[in-house]
Amino acid sequence: MNWRNNPQLQERLAAEYALGTLRGRARQCLERWMRENAALSRAVAEWQARLAPLALAVRPVPPPARVWRAIEARLPGTARPGLWDSVAFWRGLGLAASGAAAMLLAAVALISPQAPVPAPAPVVLKVPSTEMAAVYLAVLSDPKTNKPLLLVSAGRHADQLQVRTLDPSIRVSGKDLELWALPAGGVPTSLGLVGDAERSMVKLAAAADKSLANVPALAISLEPKGGSPTGRATGPVLAVGPCVRFW
Amino acid sequence: MSPPADPLASLLAACAQGDRAAFERLYRDTAPKLFGVAMRILRREDWAEDVLQECYVRIWDHARDYRPGLAAPMTWMTSIVRNRCLDWLRRPNFEVRDEEGELIEAVESDRPGPLAALEASAGARALKKCLEALEAKQRQAIALAYFDGLSHSELASHLREPLGTVKTWVRRGLLRLKGCLDAA
Repeated sequence: MNWRNNPQLQERLAAEYALGTLRGRARQCLERWMRENAALSRAVAEWQARLAPLALAVRPVPPPARVWRAIEARLPGTARPGLWDSVAFWRGLGLAASGAAAMLLAAVALISPQAPVPAPAPVVLKVPSTEMAAVYLAVLSDPKTNKPLLLVSAGRHADQLQVRTLDPSIRVSGKDLELWALPAGGVPTSLGLVGDAERSMVKLAAAADKSLANVPALAISLEPKGGSPTGRATGPVLAVGPCVRFW
Repeated sequence: MSPPADPLASLLAACAQGDRAAFERLYRDTAPKLFGVAMRILRREDWAEDVLQECYVRIWDHARDYRPGLAAPMTWMTSIVRNRCLDWLRRPNFEVRDEEGELIEAVESDRPGPLAALEASAGARALKKCLEALEAKQRQAIALAYFDGLSHSELASHLREPLGTVKTWVRRGLLRLKGCLDAA
């Protein structure tokens, strides 16, 4: 069935596109055809206009202020540092910073031989003793509940991160967990995907001393299989937390 | 027959010239509506926030592509948001969440839904009248598809009807809708 010579089919495709029931490959095809066929794109525009009053009838919901901040930060020429340039990172950081920092202090206290702090700590870090004196550490926590979800550590000269998943329920089948460095004054950069096992390694492009030197925080986002297709976090940020040098 | 200049159209034109203040004004004036649309389809606030953010960056980037003759500003922006929401729903393993049975309830009860709010303009009243003239099943299928972003197969499972039947309702419903609107 050739849509070009079939006005009825064109009309139907345009209507189902505007309604939203045209999905998947058919939707993508139609978007391509619309670019090369003015009649088809007009038919779609007409259907969108016909149905538009429906959208206006939906109850308005004021978005949280962080959405505008994140939009502003992504506009070109924005003077402020583009560090937290996605809603996800704003959301994650705003809620998590204090809780995660406290958690990290507890964790550091536990592994420090000189600090027998009797604080109750839900996190037990085991770092090889040879690296005790020179290690990067991060505890990534759920931004909403502050529950620690992942531990990340690396010897300062190592070229891989050791990741321990504390809560297996953060995994979603068919999705990958992607680890991000949130450098001071820069955009988040991917460090790699976290493996499925409770303990896994993330290979670094350069030794930790280089990769993490100017990275005050790490985050984990849920991404399509194979990682974010855009180079930015596209899914929700599941965990975020400060990354510190421990030596 | 062009309507009196829509203030949103002037704001979009200013955005196309790089006017950041106009963009902020546009956001303030339109974001609650568009966030409502995204929330309704995605049913998760964090996803709706991400989609809204992406869409406004897109609106800023593409403001110069906006053609006043082709669509009203709100229609253009709504289409961007709805398209992005539908893309979002195509992500692997996505399931429409209906833990509280809200969708089913919306279909089965006669609680006034968004359709009842369709009084705002002459166009809206005509659309409402024509939707009301459809068979109930056709109207339900079209409303669920538009408001909640359900695909044919999701419609079939929520309405507990065979896929082919649901597709027919949608197709015939849309045809009748067009006939009714064109006659109005």
